[in-house]
Amino acid sequence: MSDVSLVGKQLPSAPLEAAGPPYFADGLWQGTVEIMENVQLAQDTFRVRFRCPEIARKILPGQFLMLRMSGCNDPLLGRPFALYDTTQSSSGAADGLDVVYLVIGKFTSRLSQALPGERLDVWGPLGNGFSAMPAEHLIMVAGGIGQTPFLAVAREALELRRYGEPLRRRPRVNQVTLCYGARTQEFLASVEDFQELGVDVRVSTDDGSFGHAGLVTEVLESVLDQSRLRPTILCCGPEPMMAAVARISSDRNIPCEVSLETPMACGVGICFSCVAKVRQPDGRWDYRRTCVEGPVFGGQQIDFS
Amino acid sequence: MPDRLFQVGSPSTHEENGLSVQLGRLRLPNPVVTASGTFGYAREMAGIVDLSRLGGIIPKTITAASRAGNTPWRTVETTGGMLNSIGLDNDGIDAFITGHLPYLASLVTPTIVSIAGRSQEEFVSMAQQLSQCEGIAALELNISCPNVSGGVDFGTDPDMCARLVRSAVESSDLPILAKLTPNVTDIACMAQAAADSGADAVSLINTCLGVAIDWKRKRPVLGNMFGGLSGPAIKPIALAAVCKVKAKVDVPIIGIGGIANIDDVMEFLVAGASAVQIGTANFYNPQVCMQILDGLPKALRSIDADSVREIVGSLQHRSPNPPSSAVAPTSQPTSEA
Repeated sequence: MSDVSLVGKQLPSAPLEAAGPPYFADGLWQGTVEIMENVQLAQDTFRVRFRCPEIARKILPGQFLMLRMSGCNDPLLGRPFALYDTTQSSSGAADGLDVVYLVIGKFTSRLSQALPGERLDVWGPLGNGFSAMPAEHLIMVAGGIGQTPFLAVAREALELRRYGEPLRRRPRVNQVTLCYGARTQEFLASVEDFQELGVDVRVSTDDGSFGHAGLVTEVLESVLDQSRLRPTILCCGPEPMMAAVARISSDRNIPCEVSLETPMACGVGICFSCVAKVRQPDGRWDYRRTCVEGPVFGGQQIDFS
Repeated sequence: MPDRLFQVGSPSTHEENGLSVQLGRLRLPNPVVTASGTFGYAREMAGIVDLSRLGGIIPKTITAASRAGNTPWRTVETTGGMLNSIGLDNDGIDAFITGHLPYLASLVTPTIVSIAGRSQEEFVSMAQQLSQCEGIAALELNISCPNVSGGVDFGTDPDMCARLVRSAVESSDLPILAKLTPNVTDIACMAQAAADSGADAVSLINTCLGVAIDWKRKRPVLGNMFGGLSGPAIKPIALAAVCKVKAKVDVPIIGIGGIANIDDVMEFLVAGASAVQIGTANFYNPQVCMQILDGLPKALRSIDADSVREIVGSLQHRSPNPPSSAVAPTSQPTSEA
């Protein structure tokens, strides 16, 4: 295994909307870990925790890792999961990983039943992550399970923790808001984790069982209308929602990054499964791999049609 | 046997370490090759595997013109395997030569370039263009991709296969491998056609045609409906293809299909493959090739073999009418299957 990490050198320092280089997994660690904790947070929503200092000390908010059940060929392929947050040792060094997941298929069903001590194959960190651009008001827009990449983003933006190797320093953000849309109140997960950091959480639910009854984009519009600071939008969720957020950011000329979730087989750029329509310099789109060119793209880079 | 005889992956010593294999005019330092479409253009894996230890690298298939590839979803997991319908997404031969080949050529590992044409003329023109390039060890003719129209006929019609292989052999000085599809009645017949036309080796097998259905939405899961099945689920099919061709055709074989560990590799070698390609396993175990290379010397020693070559095709055939006392095989795998 290579100990040479290029991850720190490949950070997207370019302005938003610039097409980045491929973020190959040059700092990748692959190994087997033991589950320490696997707890339910909300309906069909769990958090799994395991010790993995090799990835924890390198990973950046918005990057992801691949998980599979160790020694098991059914399910066969790894599945991609965003970093929820790192855990720290008593010395303050990042030594563990939290992943929050929604049960939707064969792997997540199996994982939700896993007990402490069970083993997972894990490889990462993967992808680019959110850029650490200066912002006055960071507005994170999440739909469904799309809140998971934002806890670490918020923690970094509020200068409560630094991530990466070497530790990245991002300019402090004055205000952080999470616009979080869920189906019902039962699916809302880890709202307290955000509130504890000082994040202003604005919830919408489809059925009105909690917060605004309606679309999360309506919550976003009202937050934008009220904000007196220079906003920046980060977005993760279902594609129609991300398309709508990208449109709002474009209409209002606000910088926007979206984190795509596409079906993925390898996570490292070799299978060409996870493509999205990415606008090219000539104005046309091309299918590009979200695992090594994303998963984070400028909102205007993606052709959501 | 001294361990130093099995120093995998040091190019200067591969001649005497018992691992090198000969496929027609193509010599590889060891039999572990990465399959096209499952290893990107190798640069992706540089931080994950020691590329210099591989027996060969086959980058993703290239075509004459760039291709956007098929509409997502492009892959879906099925029991013990996966279906893919990528559709030869690539930037075309010129972009490959300027963008990817310089890196591949800088590696000590032999690069085998996989090409797919829509016509015989396109295959020939690509073979000629690549023959002018430095750093290519061989060409693999992808005449078996199930996900694009045009190419697949070359792999299902023996006469067309023969003419295509012949024209490629005549238009290039490079060794020529023909990658065959299992989606035929008689794969030995196709291998015979390739061998008679001068192919240095045949690669067996490409993916098996398959479909996945989302019955609740009454839709195919893949954007292209049909896909190619790969992974552990197809290993017995691939082994059958190797055995059939080995029995009937005098041509070196590269075995492909569901290989995920050293036991799988040894099975293919014993069945008659001179080398193997690792495909889908790269996706779910990025270091699988390194683990296989780590295990290869020990596996050879465990059956008192001094070289890979001596075990190729060493399968002992059972009597066609085994006595009634015959029982299931008792040999144990050397590692977890």
